[in-house]
Amino acid sequence: MKYCTTGVVQSNQQVAQAIFLTKIHTPIIAQNCSPAQFVNFYFPDSVKLFPRPFSIAGKEGENILILYKIVGSQTALMSQWSKGTELKLLGPLGNSFKITQRHYTNYILLAGGVGAAPLLFLRDELSAVGIKPYFFIGARTNSELPLNQDEKSHLLLSTDDGSAGFQGTVIAHFIHHLNQFAAPSIVCTCGPEVMLKALKQYNLPEYFDVFVSLERVMACGLGLCQGCVVRMSKPDAEPYYSLVCKDGPVFNLKDVQLDD
Amino acid sequence: MIDLSVDLGKGLSLQNPILAASGTFGYGDEIADLVEIEQFGGIVTKSLSWQPRVGNPPPRIVETSAGMINSIGLANIGLDTFLKEKAPFLSRLKCKVIVNIAASTKSEFIQVICVLDREKWIAGYEINVSCPNVEEGGIAFGTNPKVLYRLSAELRQKTDRFLIIKLTPNVTDIASLAVAVQQSGADAISMINTLYGAAIDINTFRPKISTVIGGLSGPAIKPVALALLIKARKAVDIPIIGIGGISCGADVIEFMLAGASAIQLGSVNFFNPLAMHEILDFLQQYLAKQQITSIRDIIGKAQL
Repeated sequence: MKYCTTGVVQSNQQVAQAIFLTKIHTPIIAQNCSPAQFVNFYFPDSVKLFPRPFSIAGKEGENILILYKIVGSQTALMSQWSKGTELKLLGPLGNSFKITQRHYTNYILLAGGVGAAPLLFLRDELSAVGIKPYFFIGARTNSELPLNQDEKSHLLLSTDDGSAGFQGTVIAHFIHHLNQFAAPSIVCTCGPEVMLKALKQYNLPEYFDVFVSLERVMACGLGLCQGCVVRMSKPDAEPYYSLVCKDGPVFNLKDVQLDD
Repeated sequence: MIDLSVDLGKGLSLQNPILAASGTFGYGDEIADLVEIEQFGGIVTKSLSWQPRVGNPPPRIVETSAGMINSIGLANIGLDTFLKEKAPFLSRLKCKVIVNIAASTKSEFIQVICVLDREKWIAGYEINVSCPNVEEGGIAFGTNPKVLYRLSAELRQKTDRFLIIKLTPNVTDIASLAVAVQQSGADAISMINTLYGAAIDINTFRPKISTVIGGLSGPAIKPVALALLIKARKAVDIPIIGIGGISCGADVIEFMLAGASAIQLGSVNFFNPLAMHEILDFLQQYLAKQQITSIRDIIGKAQL
């Protein structure tokens, strides 16, 4: 069930360079959302018409959290939101990370920059059932890391320039630690396409299940426009397209082709 | 109480003039938990073809000024799956359901219609001769009046159902195509499909749509749609269903004043899924204020 509703901004804080965390009061969505699900924000803009999809980064009571980076005019506008700002939103949309299907020895989260959003939510859900995941977060530089310390996870930071944590990409950092995860493990990841490709190209041992939350340009978020496709290739099936908004955003990494 | 019902002739009356445009509303079930679908005058299904089509590779959509370009490529589940999986839902709807049909050949159109004619719940067909995003069929049928006449006349012979031909704006003389449709015996025209559109990424130098050129829709095309509607309206007497950038109640009034008997909501379903409800409220209030009791009384009343 999804709801078109009104939200009220409770807070909107800058947490890193150009990265903000906003808390929005929207009870019906907060009560019904799961990690990797997203909301559409509608902007009163007669030139840029598409709603903008944002992954839900957590929930606190009747509020949802949204972690976003300023990349264009709408996110710049969002950074100006203040307590009491009302907005139109739709959600929760899409599927979610499924963590209860099987017991794993290790729970590993791999985030590239603001790709941390759905994984922060997932970390909270894991923590609530007594699981402390390994949380790898990478960014270009220290000031762009959305999280610096965390009690609910084993936080493993990396930066491209070495200004904090491991020097290198989040995938390189994960591979660096691979030996310590020599047992059935689940990896949940979200980040830039180049990072996801690097992970896919690295042939992880079979005892890793890897799930990815993808991002695409969407006109509707509802499965109507059929614009946000990802090419699927499963061993026994002809290649076909899935909709990231409705069939995803979470897919098994081995099923998706990221070369489009 | 204001009467919003319209009559398109030949037994097709709608409880209001608002239809959901093909390809912008899926098969209705995707959004049934959010929108009271049965409050539409009717819905036009996503283009249906004999065989399933996977559609075009991504990127398929891009946002442009007051609009968007799409190149979906008529991705659809095909006739068999449609009848198995979508017909049970669609056949129970109280609003009218019009099935949009796309095909590469005349015989494929006929094949699909012959099968669908057995389904009693279908109110009519909208024939897609105007898709800019497929290599075969599509727009090729819709740009030459003689070719269009032959296709439409043959489909007319095969079915008694309400037959709508959906026109492309990508022609020099829309009136000649409208005339061809009327002469063929089809029941109505819907217009317009998308305009050719393109966009290029200035950082990568690459097109923003995989097929380079796609179809432009949204409020940006509304004045074009209205102008073409006026041209076609002067040329034919059969009902015209207006389409093109309609996003609010005032737009609906504008199209109906220009001569549209009904309208379709397209891209607005993406950026405002509740548009239909807002528009119905507007129509009630507008007509009450104008002291007009039936929306039929405004059709074609613009002083052109």
